[in-house]
Amino acid sequence: MLFRSIASRLSLWVLAGSVTVLAVAGGVLFYQVSGQILEQAHGEATALANEAGNRIEQRLARVADTTQTLAAVMERHPEGAELMLRDALARNADLSGLAAAFVPAADNPPMSPFVDRKDDGSLRSRDLRKDSNPYWDKTWFLAGLGCPQGCWQRHFYSQSRKRELINYSVAIGRNGHPIGLINADVSLDWLGRILQELGKPKGAYAFVLDENGVYLAHDNPAMVGQHGKPDLLQALARYQATRVRLAVAQNPRAHGKPVWIYVAPIEGTRWRFGLAMPEAMIYAGVRQAFARVLALGLLALLALAAVTLAVTRRILAPLRTLASGAEQVARGALDFELPPARFPDEIGRLTHAFDRMRRELALHIAELTRNAKEQQRLASELDIAHQIQTALLPGAHYQDAHCENFQLHALLRPARAVGGDLYSYFMLNERRFCVMVGDVSDKGIPAALFMARTITLAKALAPRARSPQQLLSMLNLELCRNNDSCMFVSLLCGMLDTCTGDLAMASAGHEPPVLCDAEGARLIELDTGAALGLDEEARYPACMLQLQPGQTLMLYTDGITEATDASLQLFGTERLLACLERAPSRAAADFADGLLAEVDRFAEGAGQADDITVLALNWHHALADRNAPMLDLSINASMGDVFDTLERCDAALRAQGVPSALREDIRLVLEELMVNMVQHGHAGSADRSIDLHMRQGDDAVLIELHHDGHPFDPLQAPMPTLTGDLADADEVGGLGIHLVRAMASELSYSHDEQGNHLQLRFLHPARTEHDHDVQTGH
Amino acid sequence: MTFKLDTESESPDRTTLHLHGRLDAQTFNDFDRAMLDVLPRVREGGTVVLDLSALEYISSAGLRSIAMIRRSMRARGGHTLLLNPQPQVRKVFDIVKAVPLQEVFANTQELDRYLDHMQRQIAGDGPTGNA
Repeated sequence: MLFRSIASRLSLWVLAGSVTVLAVAGGVLFYQVSGQILEQAHGEATALANEAGNRIEQRLARVADTTQTLAAVMERHPEGAELMLRDALARNADLSGLAAAFVPAADNPPMSPFVDRKDDGSLRSRDLRKDSNPYWDKTWFLAGLGCPQGCWQRHFYSQSRKRELINYSVAIGRNGHPIGLINADVSLDWLGRILQELGKPKGAYAFVLDENGVYLAHDNPAMVGQHGKPDLLQALARYQATRVRLAVAQNPRAHGKPVWIYVAPIEGTRWRFGLAMPEAMIYAGVRQAFARVLALGLLALLALAAVTLAVTRRILAPLRTLASGAEQVARGALDFELPPARFPDEIGRLTHAFDRMRRELALHIAELTRNAKEQQRLASELDIAHQIQTALLPGAHYQDAHCENFQLHALLRPARAVGGDLYSYFMLNERRFCVMVGDVSDKGIPAALFMARTITLAKALAPRARSPQQLLSMLNLELCRNNDSCMFVSLLCGMLDTCTGDLAMASAGHEPPVLCDAEGARLIELDTGAALGLDEEARYPACMLQLQPGQTLMLYTDGITEATDASLQLFGTERLLACLERAPSRAAADFADGLLAEVDRFAEGAGQADDITVLALNWHHALADRNAPMLDLSINASMGDVFDTLERCDAALRAQGVPSALREDIRLVLEELMVNMVQHGHAGSADRSIDLHMRQGDDAVLIELHHDGHPFDPLQAPMPTLTGDLADADEVGGLGIHLVRAMASELSYSHDEQGNHLQLRFLHPARTEHDHDVQTGH
Repeated sequence: MTFKLDTESESPDRTTLHLHGRLDAQTFNDFDRAMLDVLPRVREGGTVVLDLSALEYISSAGLRSIAMIRRSMRARGGHTLLLNPQPQVRKVFDIVKAVPLQEVFANTQELDRYLDHMQRQIAGDGPTGNA
């Protein structure tokens, strides 16, 4: 929680950093200062030690002076020795006793007085000669005799006086021979008192070492008489140093801490004065001072941290607002106000930028929403367009209900919602079936619109077309019209005679169809013309084929052959043929579905790039022709043949049970048309011929007439002038054509390079109507 | 023989022609030729009755032949009347409006009444209505 706030972290880091800096700086400073302090302490302590040494020296010098004076006086006046001793002892409080000891000899005084000071301060005397223990054999006496200039003896413990004493002996010489000595006793207590009287820093202690390294005096009385520590003595002996550091103090009062010892020699003796300063004491002051400074510094840093915290929180307060604003933005709420920035600093700029971002984001989201709605609308329009486009296509499956000679299965799958592929099929008349597959250039909506145009035009034009090539030509002309966008469509068109399996095909730049049968699958190579919509002059060659039972004709678009897999390999014609050869059954649906599934497997992962259309037409020739032609004649265009034909037609119609009224209508129409052809259509040549095909439909008689003569469209012939009496005019023309138009239920005409083609359709009149006519006729 | 013509001259004023079979592009020449014999024998102002009871079929060629007879008779001040056309023939006549309806009669009685009325009109020398 604490570390989630930048202010807290910042102040903590400031605190930690400052403390570190302070500690390091303090440490370095302390190190440097402590060096100086030590030097200073050394100087002070050395001076102190020298001074103390001097003072002791002075006191000892007085003792020595007194003793030497006494010795000099004694030489000449040995008789008044005791008195002099008493006098000297009384005047010099430092002395605890004085003795004048003479070598027992004849000319020496007979007594050796000794005066000492009792504990109560009074003096007492005795004669050393009377001591049971003769002194002249004693070491101190013998050694003292060797000291005409005076020397300090070894200290000793006086049994009689119960104290440690030390002697200063000066030999009394006469004529160069010692006759005795003056011995001054100084108690070590006295020396100790001198030490204690020294002005020493608190915690320091002083001592005096004799030449043997034994403590003569010590501030700690327990140490008196002990030997100094070997390392101390070694150090002193080695360096003659004025100071030495002992890592562990000998004095138990120093508690084993390190001490500095400052040594000053005491002149006149071979003693040395030592001043011991505990190291801790030297540094105590500076330590204390540093501790105080550190404590103050810490307090100051704490205050600094607090101030940092407060300032940072204040400065970062807008950031908190921004942070909560950003969280709101993340939740999607963009409608809020930011407090105005107080300063144009980074936070102010951030606030400005954030506010602008919020506004821009709101605008952007609004625009995105609008775009999404627009997209949705477009998508729904595309969906509807897709439905409409689908409605333009006939159903996927077709089986000829009349003859069941073939079945057809078609699949169209646009790459997008709408596409440019098309297929269509329809019966042109009772017998001829038209099928087409096409592919508009480009994709998407323009292609879909062009596809709709193509398929609608094809349906409208097909009834007027005699052949696929003619249909393509007409379609091409129509599509070239106003085709500024230069769209084009490749189209393969076939017209199938549903009775015979005769198939006429023409291609406008389309993929060649595949014919599949028991022998395998092979491409039908046919010459193609230009794609529709590009060249008004384009011609389309025809290709004739007769379907055999069991054969399947596959029409497809380049969506099949140009499907690519993930490695951009094309599906290609070989795979197409191989797939069709492997087809499990000969049913049209299996061919189409199997091919599409194979293409899907091939293009898996690559996606569908182009519209795909497959159309399979399977020819069974399953049933005997119910629509078999009643007549299928080809005659010379002569009157005789015409009337023979009329007879044959009549007979055939009668055999089919066609009512006589209808037979007569048909006869009249055929007579008029054929006589017209014979009389007016020969175009200068005698060997014209007329083809007549007649067959019975479900509800009508269907007749086709083909004549290779002069073009003549009966539908375009002018209406004759009918006054109500033919005899009014000399010659009334066009009566026959007028009759034809009136009698035939349907009439269509086309003309191509093979001549005139007429298609006629006569509906069967209802039976009751026929009977009624007959009755009224009689 | 798909077409046959019987001529019956009841009187110099009235000649009845019985048409049998089909009058079409194949037979109208025969009919026309026969008429060349018959028509001059009809008196000026006389009447030719075409009995169509047995005419099964007529095409535009036959219509033209009949129109020629009527024009020829009209030129000579005579009349051509049609009797009892069969359904096919009647249908063809209707389609091309070949003859005025008052000159077509369903049976001989109507025809006779019309002829009597015309004769009285001639005798009375006044205009007359139709039957």
